[in-house]
Amino acid sequence: MNKLLPLFFLLFSFVDFDNNQHQFIARQGQVSFFSYTSLENIEAKNNQVLSILDIEKHEIAISMLMRAFVFKKDLMYEHFNESYIESDMYPKANFIGNIIDFDTSTKEVQTKIIRGKLTIHGITKEIDIKTTIKIIDKNYIVSGDFEVLVKDFEIKIPPILSSNIAKTISIKFRFQYKPYEQ
Amino acid sequence: MNNKIIYQLLTIAFMVLSSSINAQSLLDKLDKEFPEKPIYVIAAFKTTRIGLGHSIETRKKGALEISLYNRYWNIPNFEGQRFLADVVSTRYGLDYSFSDNFTFGLGYTNHDKITDGFVKHKLLKQRKNSKKRFISITLVQGFSHRNSENTNEDIYEPITSSNKYAFTSQVLIARKINSELSLQISPTFIHKEASSLNSDPNNQFAIGFGGRHKIGSHASIVSEYFYVANPLKSVQTYNAFMVGVNWELSHLLLQFQVTNARNFVEDTFISQTKNNFNAKDGNFHFGFNATFVLQTKKKKL
Repeated sequence: MNKLLPLFFLLFSFVDFDNNQHQFIARQGQVSFFSYTSLENIEAKNNQVLSILDIEKHEIAISMLMRAFVFKKDLMYEHFNESYIESDMYPKANFIGNIIDFDTSTKEVQTKIIRGKLTIHGITKEIDIKTTIKIIDKNYIVSGDFEVLVKDFEIKIPPILSSNIAKTISIKFRFQYKPYEQ
Repeated sequence: MNNKIIYQLLTIAFMVLSSSINAQSLLDKLDKEFPEKPIYVIAAFKTTRIGLGHSIETRKKGALEISLYNRYWNIPNFEGQRFLADVVSTRYGLDYSFSDNFTFGLGYTNHDKITDGFVKHKLLKQRKNSKKRFISITLVQGFSHRNSENTNEDIYEPITSSNKYAFTSQVLIARKINSELSLQISPTFIHKEASSLNSDPNNQFAIGFGGRHKIGSHASIVSEYFYVANPLKSVQTYNAFMVGVNWELSHLLLQFQVTNARNFVEDTFISQTKNNFNAKDGNFHFGFNATFVLQTKKKKL
């Protein structure tokens, strides 16, 4: 039996026949971020964030285009993409993580921790995010907020502008999932 | 016994591997879900002027650019004692973007007493990873009106209204080669009614070459050169050259440059630069441009 086990796992790792029934997708996920300083408030929103939720493996994956963020002021959009996040080089930000103690049987609103890896500006960080998970008619809604440090992701801010941009950026997200179809 | 351990280790290895493959596949799956939308290249240049002339960039709808362009130079063998430099020429400018692709601008230069204006239209935008749309094209139509009674051309002739006006048409073609380097070529046509006393051409053709290279996330080195195909005959003119640094500080864009061009308006600096580029008094010009961008319309999030 022991000899067969690796083969068995090999088979499983490549063949995902029944994945689709327990995978859910959000195509218009919302992610927004805020930087509040006494000099300037910066706010941006991305309404085209993609996410897949796997309720069997309790896994969640999120991916977004940095260029899809919309700012109140157009000049900020240019600066964000060109000078700070360098979206030419790092066009996407993504997250992959596991929902700890995810209870798929309950219909009640649950607050869980998602532990995973967040990649922004080409830098990957381990992060724990507190989320609220709701189930409405088989559609999952995952939302929450968290904070990141600008310097963790090696985003350079010139000293002369350091008072315009907050050291910690708060991020809000909301994903509404539907059953995944090819 | 040994075999058993190896197999157990392999089993664990496969478990780890298979889980990581799955984790990866979830992100890969997402990558395939991104809709096929064209992504336009932004900020080939960060300023609407490379230095002397226009760049392909226009501001987004509702942006008001307030600009002060200064040029400082010395007069050879000047006896007086003036602060900083013998002569300072300033162009006060206001540009307003009616749409993302259309800008109208006005300016006044105090030393030349020239009022100028322009309309600028973004025709084609370069796309990322596209073989078809690999360049950006912007059209500029400028006009100027001189109010001076004694500009060099018409000292000996009474001023008529026709030779006070000049028109400049430019086709700006640029490509952002990579995130650091952008290059621009700008074929230029200048129409100006010449004085009947000399044989200066009424129509002049020129071509501008410009480029920028980023030296940091907020600063870049820029350079520009204008070649005139049929220069003026009545006076010796030289091709305009500029090298400088562009620096952006949030809403404020600063440009520092050294050049031989004294004037700000296209029809004057392209075809009427009367000194070559060197460090002699009267030839060496230091330029300092400050532009403030005011967003009059805010997007709703």
